[in-house]
Amino acid sequence: MVRRIVLAVLVVVALALLTISFRSPTSGMLHDAQSYGADALRPFQVAAVRVARPFRDGYNYVDSLARAKSDNAKLRKMVQDYRAQALLNASAVQQNNDLKRLLHFEAGPQYPRDFRAVNASVISFPSGAFSQQIVIGAGSDSGIHLNTPVVSADGLVGKVTTVGHTTSTVTLLTDPNSAVPARDLKTRVSGLIRHGQGGSLILDRVSKDQVVDKGDWIITRGTVDRRYPDEYPYGIPIGRVVAVGTSDIASFLTVQVQPLADLSSLDAVAALVPKHPRAKP
Amino acid sequence: MTIADGLKAAALLFVAAIVQVSIFSQLDVFGAAPQVVLVTLVGVSLLRGAIVGATAGFFAGLVVDTAMLGQLGLTSLVLTVSGYWIGRYGETTGRDRGHAPFLSVAVVTFLYAFGVLLVHFMLGEPAPAGAVMRSLLPTIVMNLVLTGPTYLLVRLLLRPRERADYATEVQLLG
Repeated sequence: MVRRIVLAVLVVVALALLTISFRSPTSGMLHDAQSYGADALRPFQVAAVRVARPFRDGYNYVDSLARAKSDNAKLRKMVQDYRAQALLNASAVQQNNDLKRLLHFEAGPQYPRDFRAVNASVISFPSGAFSQQIVIGAGSDSGIHLNTPVVSADGLVGKVTTVGHTTSTVTLLTDPNSAVPARDLKTRVSGLIRHGQGGSLILDRVSKDQVVDKGDWIITRGTVDRRYPDEYPYGIPIGRVVAVGTSDIASFLTVQVQPLADLSSLDAVAALVPKHPRAKP
Repeated sequence: MTIADGLKAAALLFVAAIVQVSIFSQLDVFGAAPQVVLVTLVGVSLLRGAIVGATAGFFAGLVVDTAMLGQLGLTSLVLTVSGYWIGRYGETTGRDRGHAPFLSVAVVTFLYAFGVLLVHFMLGEPAPAGAVMRSLLPTIVMNLVLTGPTYLLVRLLLRPRERADYATEVQLLG
């Protein structure tokens, strides 16, 4: 009898917590208490990550040695390509700046110039197939707020969806709830970056009459809707198109994108906080 | 269950929860990661019964949800029920059986996965049943690998109870 009473009480308390947490996930007394709890747990999480790091680094070192030769040849070829591309880009940037000056062009905050990077270590990782979220060791005390974009050295990682005082939850691009307005850098075709199979992404909502080629770069599209200003600034690299397919019955192209950031092994990320926050419309 | 036992169990589950969210979650073997919290909970519940199992499950879930800034109560709910069931099994048919920890881990990994899937589905959140099914077998295998050493450690800290401490309820049939 006592067993069942204990079980019933614990289940009711868990359901109550779940209900309150579900109804107000980003504010309220319970969220504040959880935030303080997360602050208290942070040193333990940081310590655990530090203890595990030498083992992880050791594994990565051995793994990278095994692939070094083939990677070297591939990288040499890429350097040649990028050197040629960089010359063309430098010329285009110069021309772009001149034209902007002539037109007195007013632009919103530009990445990365108008953003301050809040660098933070990753202290928790996604658990299971349900959520693709990480917890980082920086929060509202560092200027991070809801929907702050988060990048790694390679490209876009996701955005902040829960903010504590010294920790924040970042929902990754591979989360089923994530949707990022994006565009093809070469063909300027726009779509929505959503999660795909096996850690890949898809560029959704691209109609069949538009052109997307394998190897194209995909970047963030920037602010397009007054209701969601500044969620992702224009030009953050997201990934590269690895396959484009279509079928007779589908309305849209199937564009598979390989994310640039290795979302499965993030050590540290940077949250992009605007240097000069704009007034809300 | 003495206070010292309670503190030892709490410390074990706390460490397991921190290790789970900070280290084990980033391992990816065929799309799955080992669940050290679940395995530790199995050990505690088998050795200390249903009440301790349910309470330990609630506490471990709370630590995991707080550390992940996730929905408070979700993991607690599933782990509470899991801890209770394993505890009951340990008090009745599972007592003194060598295979009990392994059988419990295999079954509870399966039930835990579907429990979490069900709660997510009922909350109207993404509930990728296909991905859960694909990762189920590797998760069970990894959890079984962890079971031996984890159970030994738990058993070392929480010594098995005396025979007189077990439940003495007998259901009369007929």
